[in-house]
Amino acid sequence: MRVAAAVLPAFLALALGGCAWRSTPAWELPPPPVRRGPVVDADRLHRAELANGLRILVFEDDRLPQLGLGIAVRRGVALESVEEAGLATFTAELMGRGAGGRDALQLAQVVDDLGASLDTGAGWDSLSVTVSGLSRDAETLFGVLADVVRRPRFDPSEADKVRGELLAVLEGQKDSPAALGRNAFARVLYDGHRFGLPVEGSAQAVAKLRAPAARAFHGRVFQAGDAILYATGDVRFAEVRALAEAAFGDWPRGESPPLPPPPPSPVPAERQVVVVDRPDLAQAQILVGHEGLARADPERVAALLMNEVIGGSGFSSRLMSRVRAEEGLAYGVYSFFAMRRAPGPFGVSTSTRVPAARRALDLLLAELERAKHGTFSAEELESVQRLAAGGFVLGLETSSAVTDALVDLDVQALPADSLDTYRDRVAHTTLDDVQAAARELLHPERAAIVVVGPAAVLVPALEGLGPTRVEQP
Amino acid sequence: MRRAPLLVLALCLASQAAGALEDPAARTRTTVLDNGLRILTLEDRTTPVVSYQTWVDVGSGDEARWTGLAHLFEHMMFRGSKRVPGELRDALLRARGSRGNAYTSSDVTVYYEDTSAEHLPLVIELEAERFRNLVISPEVLDTERQVVLEERRMRTEDNPRGRLFEALLSLTFVAHPYRTPTIGWASDVEQVGVGPCLDFFHSYYAPNNVVISIAGDFDADDAVARIRRHYAGWQRAPEPPRNPTHEPTQTGERRAVVHLPVRGPLLGVAWHAPPSGHPDGPALDVLSEILSSGRTSRLQRKLVYEEQQALYAYGGYWELRHAGLFYAGVGVRPGSDPSRSEALLFAEIERVRGAPPTAQELEKAKRGFEVSLIGGLRTSNALASRNAEELLTFGRIRPLEERLARIREVTEQDVQRVAARYLLPEKRSIVHVIPGAENGANGGGAR
Repeated sequence: MRVAAAVLPAFLALALGGCAWRSTPAWELPPPPVRRGPVVDADRLHRAELANGLRILVFEDDRLPQLGLGIAVRRGVALESVEEAGLATFTAELMGRGAGGRDALQLAQVVDDLGASLDTGAGWDSLSVTVSGLSRDAETLFGVLADVVRRPRFDPSEADKVRGELLAVLEGQKDSPAALGRNAFARVLYDGHRFGLPVEGSAQAVAKLRAPAARAFHGRVFQAGDAILYATGDVRFAEVRALAEAAFGDWPRGESPPLPPPPPSPVPAERQVVVVDRPDLAQAQILVGHEGLARADPERVAALLMNEVIGGSGFSSRLMSRVRAEEGLAYGVYSFFAMRRAPGPFGVSTSTRVPAARRALDLLLAELERAKHGTFSAEELESVQRLAAGGFVLGLETSSAVTDALVDLDVQALPADSLDTYRDRVAHTTLDDVQAAARELLHPERAAIVVVGPAAVLVPALEGLGPTRVEQP
Repeated sequence: MRRAPLLVLALCLASQAAGALEDPAARTRTTVLDNGLRILTLEDRTTPVVSYQTWVDVGSGDEARWTGLAHLFEHMMFRGSKRVPGELRDALLRARGSRGNAYTSSDVTVYYEDTSAEHLPLVIELEAERFRNLVISPEVLDTERQVVLEERRMRTEDNPRGRLFEALLSLTFVAHPYRTPTIGWASDVEQVGVGPCLDFFHSYYAPNNVVISIAGDFDADDAVARIRRHYAGWQRAPEPPRNPTHEPTQTGERRAVVHLPVRGPLLGVAWHAPPSGHPDGPALDVLSEILSSGRTSRLQRKLVYEEQQALYAYGGYWELRHAGLFYAGVGVRPGSDPSRSEALLFAEIERVRGAPPTAQELEKAKRGFEVSLIGGLRTSNALASRNAEELLTFGRIRPLEERLARIREVTEQDVQRVAARYLLPEKRSIVHVIPGAENGANGGGAR
């Protein structure tokens, strides 16, 4: 994954510079120009498509004797109705509990014996199966992948076990203040829509899940025409292609299941304050937010840069400077867009000692107001443009990270060259774009406010912020 | 990290693949400055990232009067120096897309910055500046201690697993400083002043107590020349003070209960085990894999899969510089009885003490260890960390092949022997996190 060499002359000029460089501290020198151009090594990236529409992506990397394989499809948790919430996770988990000629323990044994790992999972927009291990075990790993994707057994006894585990996970989320906050925030924004529940679903729905429902859901979403098969590591493209043809060549193309309606927007229509009562907590868990953006939204890059200024990564965003460095109110404070195929939420989250909850909330809301109605400086924009471009490359250090990012683009049906064009898109975003994004996308005046902590202390402290209700975990 | 040409051939020789790997450590260069500063450089031009790390040989295990000082001090290193005040350092690095942070453990404090090669000169100068010219004002210390107290509330006081870990360490170690949480007790963090911070800085933050480790896409000669220029005037300090305490032998089972209003109770167990570098280490690593790696491992299979008592179960060998632990833990399912999980856990421990594992289990464990060792070579950050940690712990960087050979030598009998030797009922400490009579009225801890 060599990065384009265009910047090297500038770098060398700087490194070999004369006396000025010796006497001037590096921090007083202007930063070197941002690297541009492609980030994915085209010589190592191979793509193909089988006759049934199955897309194949191979990113070769022979530096270590490792191999990662996977299949992802373009439908996930978002396909579920509220009544069947949890079905995608249940299906994915059950796929890993016995496939082809192996029951659950036999399947786990063949994977464990190789020191390999098998993961099945459901995200909002995709279900995926991944297998990784040593490249010398390629054929066995490939066989496991094909069995799990095409021949899961859906044993009723395993279904009973998985259902019990999912119910325990959902109940266990109540022990985590962060999960309580996330779940309440989703409910306040999207009650009645699937986005209003956690990825794992609801206890009521999960309690009704049985093996036949998983089998049917698997049949709906695992279609060759909707899937991408990917491999990364010490493996040759021709080898993967031949294995894919043999194992997946007769997989029916199928049809994409229609997408359910997107969540309502704008949400909430007006300010709502919800306190989740946990009298024992030392810290109040705070979330503030409203509707956000879809993954494919043309404003995405401007929105991400705006978000970076307000509360992105690092220690010097506006929120971190104000809330952490200046006032010592929190260990972390971040803003985020949960970008899915349909628009997910925008939010700001932090946690602070209970007596300081109101102060922290006032600061959060003030920073959102400032972003919406104030101005961003050219320096702020340039700083986050450099951050976005530089951090982007650091995030693509490993071949598996590159592959995951390419698979995500495929799942979202976004342009395949998006990684290579990203730094240019960042560079071409203007102050006007970022300013417009803030005005259009931030709505502190009607934001939902969720606070997890002792209601007896918090409710009086939050007075005046809006209509308040107390919920039990 | 180019693969050796022999690898294709070697792939045919089962279980020898990693032996044909070129060990990146073999290309690591060590430079020692006159002031004692050690510099490890490992060029790897196949990655777009360079990781620059500064390892200070001090951790919470070195603290004397004030607990949490090593960690609080790590925070203060981000709050400004003479020539780069306030948050300027972070802003400068952020504006270059650089990604850095720091962490403190029982044994070391580590500062790292992952960046692109063209920004390395800036990183070197910024690091030299704060290591040599740190400013600690009472005002900033007061703000930062509040940040640390928030971190403590988040990670420990409101976090059942954090509470379990803290209680288990202070139950297992009665004398050694490993008993105190790295983040410190809240009352110490609340009260420590500028004086102890400065004393700490002058005692431990000296070139002869620091290792700089760089790996990835960079020019080693250029980097070493820059480090030499910016660190050369940094004065060597006397050998830093170390705690003399040894943990006395445990002579009976210990138990503690933490009451929290949890739905899913937690269970943790620890036994004393040898420190890093002990000859029993590889057998204990294999035992860890057998007990808890993968769904077919003994603990996961029994407690999670077959008996459906737990959400998760784990166990492993934790080697520290001056002592070690073997630990096991269970996340009990909401509604299940934690004493049932405890009984199942100890039955599995007795089983591994009473009979050797099967040949298949042994092979599986060795393979798992090999895969995770290779997986740990993927990023510049991991390579730089490995080099520094090995040097500080063992005085040298142990070759991969040596580590794999030690693992391959482990026999079924070795595994049973170390289980029987260390996992004794009278030498275990057990913590339960369960709801109390008033549903955890004492939850929340120090305020």
